[in-house]
Amino acid sequence: MANLSRQLRGRIRSVQNTRRITRTQELVATSKLKRAQDRVVAARPYAQALRETIADLVTPELMERFPLLRRPAPPSKGGPSRAAIILVTSNRGLCGAFNSNLIKEARRRADELSAAGLTVEFHCVGRKGAGFLKYIGKKLAADRQDIGDRPTAQHAASLVDQLMADFGAGHLASLDIVHAKFNSPISTPPTTTRVLPVETPTGGNKVRPDYILKPGPDAILENLLPLYVRNAIYRGLVETAAGEHGARRTAMKNATDNAGEILNALRTAYNKGRQAQITQEISEIVGGAAALEG
Amino acid sequence: MIQVTLIGPEASVFTGDAEAVTVPAYDGQVGILPNHAPFMTLLGKGTLTVKQGGAEHRFNVQGGFLQVVSNRVRVVAEQVAPA
Repeated sequence: MANLSRQLRGRIRSVQNTRRITRTQELVATSKLKRAQDRVVAARPYAQALRETIADLVTPELMERFPLLRRPAPPSKGGPSRAAIILVTSNRGLCGAFNSNLIKEARRRADELSAAGLTVEFHCVGRKGAGFLKYIGKKLAADRQDIGDRPTAQHAASLVDQLMADFGAGHLASLDIVHAKFNSPISTPPTTTRVLPVETPTGGNKVRPDYILKPGPDAILENLLPLYVRNAIYRGLVETAAGEHGARRTAMKNATDNAGEILNALRTAYNKGRQAQITQEISEIVGGAAALEG
Repeated sequence: MIQVTLIGPEASVFTGDAEAVTVPAYDGQVGILPNHAPFMTLLGKGTLTVKQGGAEHRFNVQGGFLQVVSNRVRVVAEQVAPA
């Protein structure tokens, strides 16, 4: 009996420690989430401004003239057979199914592209995605673990500029980015976004006739398209960073709650055992005294 | 008065009313005063100056574009830092 209650005490202590850790992780994730969320919101005006302006400038006649807008021929008709996927995951774990969902989405996309006769290459951001893809024996075209949870526009540019050049030169058939879409801290579904060829935003207002455009709509568009592509990557990076913290907060909150439940069960068992022991001791004493009197 | 917004890829850097803005366009400095015609151009590299009352705000910008419509100036710069 004494042995059992000692074991229970040990388990209670260990669960208490675990709960302390998960609760701290939850608090850390909450404060990091706040800052990451601010960055997602702060990045919106730029994306919005680019989208509006490109929508205003783009016309069907211009489409064929820009390498970044051109849709390459399928590989069966002599088009490029290389397709790239940028997979954005986090560097750290303990965030539930967040990373595995992203990896699953990337593999689904890769299967689709392979079925279309393309050779898929993976560009990984974050340790988790790279680790898994290496484990299943995929070779990575890029493995970026330096970006962390504070991505910058420079990070996005360094990721995509080479790919953009390859696409422009006709060596690359397409570029997708698999990232978490940050709807809210508790809704961060894995999403695939087509980056190249650029799907031009629509619904722009016609450029007003009295508008002075220097050096002309096509030159402006040519300069803005790379910005738009880099921004698509940057958005994927910041949204995933924010999503990671949201997912971690949820996972750690669940872990803390579960630890609380286990603690309750253990304490009940411990107290029951203690009570049974006391009752038994009392009845032994009473029995002993009765025997002496008798 | 003209309403100026300066937007960088990571955040909006400046919003406010101003009397005049000088912007480094791809082919040289461009000054914007109130009632400027609708205008769009590419940015070069250089210093953007916003004149506001007696004060001047300066920013180093590079790449992006400038848009002027009905006294609203929108500068979208790929690189921007306070100078």
